[in-house]
Amino acid sequence: MSTIQLDDIRVEFDTPSGKVVAVNGVTQQVPSGGFVSLVGPSGCGKSTLLAVISGLTRATSGQVAVGGKAVTRPGRGIGVVFQEESTLPWRTVQENVQFALQIAGVDKGEQVERANWAIDLVGLKGFEKSYPSMLSGGMRQRVALARTLALEPGVVLMDEPFAALDQQTRIFLGAEVRDIWQRSQQTVLFVTHDISEAILLSQQVWVMSYRPGRIIDVIDVDLPEHRDASIVSSPAFNQLHNRVWSSLQEESKRGFRQQETRT
Amino acid sequence: MSLAARRSASAMRGHENVKEIAGSAGLALVALVVWQVASGLTFVIPTPVETLRVLVANLGDPAYLTDVRATAVAVVSAFTVGTVLGGIMGLVLGLSRWARLIFEPLVIALNGVPKIVLYPILLPIFQLSGSKVVMGILFALFPVLINVATGVREVPAVYWKLGRSVQASRVQMLLHIILPTIRRPLLTGIRLAASLAVVGVVLSEFFATRRGLGRVVLQSYGHGDYAEMVATILLLIVVSFTVSIMLWRWEKRIR
Ligand SMILES: Nc1ncnc2c1ncn2[C@@H]1O[C@H](COP(=O)(O)OP(=O)(O)O)[C@@H](O)[C@H]1O
Ligand SMILES: [Mg+2]
Repeated sequence: MSTIQLDDIRVEFDTPSGKVVAVNGVTQQVPSGGFVSLVGPSGCGKSTLLAVISGLTRATSGQVAVGGKAVTRPGRGIGVVFQEESTLPWRTVQENVQFALQIAGVDKGEQVERANWAIDLVGLKGFEKSYPSMLSGGMRQRVALARTLALEPGVVLMDEPFAALDQQTRIFLGAEVRDIWQRSQQTVLFVTHDISEAILLSQQVWVMSYRPGRIIDVIDVDLPEHRDASIVSSPAFNQLHNRVWSSLQEESKRGFRQQETRT
Repeated sequence: MSLAARRSASAMRGHENVKEIAGSAGLALVALVVWQVASGLTFVIPTPVETLRVLVANLGDPAYLTDVRATAVAVVSAFTVGTVLGGIMGLVLGLSRWARLIFEPLVIALNGVPKIVLYPILLPIFQLSGSKVVMGILFALFPVLINVATGVREVPAVYWKLGRSVQASRVQMLLHIILPTIRRPLLTGIRLAASLAVVGVVLSEFFATRRGLGRVVLQSYGHGDYAEMVATILLLIVVSFTVSIMLWRWEKRIR
């Protein structure tokens, strides 16, 4: 069981220009095996919330628990796919995917076996010996995904993994992620600023506000389990899209005004 | 990459190599011609052939080889100690904000000091044989230190996050993230350390030492034996040059 439980999370940062409240009063839950997307304007605290769940950042107050256990530092059960480019350029695809396993002290044979499985899963078979510099951005992001999946974590946190990619690649990789999730028991929290992507992939969408970052809307996505590209033209999808859009729009405007007055 | 593409890529690399070798050979030839012409103009400069003859004769002379060994041992020790010390100090300076605040101004200032002026102070402390090694270390230390410190500070934040998220230990962080990330500046530092170790040692030998190639150069100058002097200088240049080129090629090859 890998439920993510957030209880009144608040995160403050001390900056030269004063205290910034990045996340405030977030009380939510991702059920075990669930897929939740988090959308919100940039700078609203999505990455910060993810960092708190992964144990990379301590919340100023409030509690995080994964699988009923309080998170105080990074653990093997939680895998993260970062927003930034994070493949290691001096390692081949195979070696990149084995990285986390190697650090964990998994024996060599098993490293290779699990890496091969993950490489196959993300569709990179045949590129094991390539270096990241020889791959496209989309393929590098898949390497990062495979590196996380190879650990077989109960919880996968993805921070705008496809933000830098073109639309076609995004849609394709999104479908792949959903496919992988459906075949596993993993709990997924997926950060994106693309509303369609959020709806298409997940069971629930959380909308986050700008400064302080709160969850201002939670929308259940009651679309059929099997989703293909045609679903985006369905009335149900459009309704969901409008709901998320209007929640977000209010926020984006407010956030934009705040940023404007700030600078 | 397809096989054909790979083949053409390696052919291209081969092409580059040929160009590089041809360029170097051409340059060497020009240098030789200039040298030959210059040697005709003044008796101070021996001809290339004469220099080579003296060099070969020297390398068969046990007394000369003792000098070669003295310099070589000093250079290798200075390089090794300087690189290791510079690397460790660079890591500390790059990793610790405190160390940086306290020591960075000191390091920058010390690097600006013409180190050779310290030689008279080193002599009574480290004796004749030790002082030139210490001078070589002082010369070799800074490029490694500065390159490593800068490199460590430029390790992308996401690598630190990655390391922490997979619970890498400090040693694993160093071996699997930091060292590979700074491989280029580190190698540049090592290459500079190699040539500066030679500078530090030979410069010291010019001033005071019992044995070593710096002393040979100065002595042959004193005796007016210019062929011996130039032959020794040539030996120093060729060896440093070869080491630098080898390190440079290695530097270029890494990803
Ligand atoms: N380490 C930090 N120090 C200071 N401020 C930070 C830090 N990390 C994030 N912030 C601030 O917190 C807010 C939320 O950032 P982030 O979580 O990265 O937003 P998002 O991922 O939604 O774009 C931003 O205003 C950002 O400037
Ligand atoms: Mg972010």
